[in-house]
Amino acid sequence: MSNLTIASLAAFSLRRRRADDFSIALAKDDSAVIFGEYIAFGRVFRCREHVFNTPLTEQGSAGFGIGLASMGHTAIAEIQFADYIFPAFDQLVNEAAKFRYRSGGHFSIGRLTVHTPTMAVGHGGLYHSQSLEGFFIGASGLKVVIPRCPIQCKGLLPSAIRNPNPVIFMEPQVPIDDFALPLSSAKILIPGSDLTLLTWGTSVYHCEAALRLLNSPPPSLAPLVPPSLRSAKVELIDLRTILLWDIETVVESVRRTKRLVIVHEAGMMGGVGGEIAAEVGKRAFLRLEAPVRRITGWDVPAALQFEKFAMPDEISNILYE
Amino acid sequence: MHSPVVSKLAFFNSVTGDGSKIPSYRVLDVFGTPIEGAEVPEINERFARRLYENMQLLPTLDDILCSGQRQGKIPFYAQEATVIGSAAALADDDEVLSQYRETGVLLWRGFTLDGIMAQVFGNHEDSGKGRQIAVHYGSKQHHFHPVSSPLATQIPQAAGVGFALKRDPARRSKNVACVFFGEGAASEGDFHAGMLLASTLPSPTLFLARNNGFAISTPNSQQFYGDGISARGPGYGVDTVCVDGNDVLAVMTAVKEARKRCLEGGRAVLVEMMTYRVGHHSTSDDSYVYRERQEVEDRKKNNNPITRFRLFMESRGWWNETDEKELAFRLRRDVIKAFKRAETIKKPDLKDMFTDVYAEEPWNIKEQREELVALLKKYGQVWEPWQNELGTLKDGGKKLVD
Repeated sequence: MSNLTIASLAAFSLRRRRADDFSIALAKDDSAVIFGEYIAFGRVFRCREHVFNTPLTEQGSAGFGIGLASMGHTAIAEIQFADYIFPAFDQLVNEAAKFRYRSGGHFSIGRLTVHTPTMAVGHGGLYHSQSLEGFFIGASGLKVVIPRCPIQCKGLLPSAIRNPNPVIFMEPQVPIDDFALPLSSAKILIPGSDLTLLTWGTSVYHCEAALRLLNSPPPSLAPLVPPSLRSAKVELIDLRTILLWDIETVVESVRRTKRLVIVHEAGMMGGVGGEIAAEVGKRAFLRLEAPVRRITGWDVPAALQFEKFAMPDEISNILYE
Repeated sequence: MHSPVVSKLAFFNSVTGDGSKIPSYRVLDVFGTPIEGAEVPEINERFARRLYENMQLLPTLDDILCSGQRQGKIPFYAQEATVIGSAAALADDDEVLSQYRETGVLLWRGFTLDGIMAQVFGNHEDSGKGRQIAVHYGSKQHHFHPVSSPLATQIPQAAGVGFALKRDPARRSKNVACVFFGEGAASEGDFHAGMLLASTLPSPTLFLARNNGFAISTPNSQQFYGDGISARGPGYGVDTVCVDGNDVLAVMTAVKEARKRCLEGGRAVLVEMMTYRVGHHSTSDDSYVYRERQEVEDRKKNNNPITRFRLFMESRGWWNETDEKELAFRLRRDVIKAFKRAETIKKPDLKDMFTDVYAEEPWNIKEQREELVALLKKYGQVWEPWQNELGTLKDGGKKLVD
């Protein structure tokens, strides 16, 4: 099977799980429509008029969704992969983000949600792996939400759909071999006192695995992890919403732990980590005992064969800590 | 769709089937006389006057606003027939998404001169709260969606608006979404996307292309190679017509029929209106840099949409020189009055710089607003440039600071 097929299958299984979430949205809101490429494949829906394929045009889908939402309908536009969101960039940044503001508050498109799979799947290469939230955080008026797992998605997606602002909902593609998930509904996933580890999306699991390795390293890594570090109590936070991010929780945590490491799959340049580091640095400057540290993807396109080394995983997390 | 099979290899490159150019539909010639075979729409004197007065209002507004040194002002004149003719063919509650040269639609629907001036001056009466540059109108009451500067973005949005109308039992079969754009904007990917969606999904969206020969300084010959915008319609399987855009009766008739087909079919319909941009693109443009002045003067004289319709009305005994003088005087007086009034009205409250970004006020905007308050408290009354600027605001900045 080609890697592309694997990536498509991963996305497809993600869609089947997501069918439930969408069905709930449809059941509760008669005005809701869901549309995009490849959307109506292999599913039976209550009513064809609510879920339909669109021609292959992201700029068209985004514009169409804006038009629908401007008339008060709930519009959920599906972009097949976040990597393909760029044709819609003009519609999202110039139109959707500014819609309410430029009309003096008389027109709005709060009922628009753009849903798209994002982040690395393991076999995606350059164009099925990207983390693009950083491109949107300058578009004031939009919200960007990233759940860390399907269960979070179940709670965050309906909120995103109902939120009275246009939302870009970027759902990480869960890799083929599922992780064992520590279930927790709190944003502070693991409380700690020595360091705040802040991340979102798929990286949450890499960080969680890194902490396990830190606390009890396997024999191969033991020589590299000083015993004094193994008892470190790291506070792990899933940010979940990137625009606008929960500054209170993060700053409160950093004031306690005095150290902050931000992890994200997206590259370093222009990544959200820089934005957060600047704000936290401003508010907690005198409390910090070390500069805010970022662990990110490299500033190179996601090369297929090198994905294992491209995204921050358990190893890079421990090394830096 | 099963297409026929042929054994002879033959290329095709014409939508008319015989290789001829797409014809333009016309009712009146340049002297206002119905051409042979034309069917003049049944209109009465009152309606004709309403058409004419609205057409005349556009150049009157232009003259006063442009000479009032409104920088970046987009003139409307010489395309009066395309806009007023279209507006007259639509229902008042058809949803209109425009580019920026369709203020005539708003005026036809009763938008006041005070409202026009409020937006152009950006004073506190502007429903847009002074946020946008001139001619970027919006009016919920008049079903006129706010204009945005990026070209063609409104086109796929219109397909979505049409789809919403189709889904609404109260408006299905009653209203269409109507989108205006220029021949230059039709080069953008959004044109293709919008046509594709409205033809395929489908949605009852009326596409009105104003072809005025220029996209700022780019003439048609440098904008496209095909037979105008109408040649593209059949490419999407869409009913299409090309019309003489300087003939207000032809425009009205064509758009009326197009709207009817759009409603009945629930699918895109395309009308291309051929006209000529007599004015400069905007007050920031000098078009004599890229075209001959004589060409412009000839057009103004020989193919003027206002003249053509006036001659028609005169032939019916519905208009004379006294009416003309009286109208010119009245329109100019009303526009100047609104202009002068708007000049005295203050700008919106400063706090409106920070509102309406989101439905609620998030922490970052709240903090930034407070930062400006602190700066104003410190420098607002002692730094002259800020003092002067605050004086132009309705509340003098007080609502923000308090």
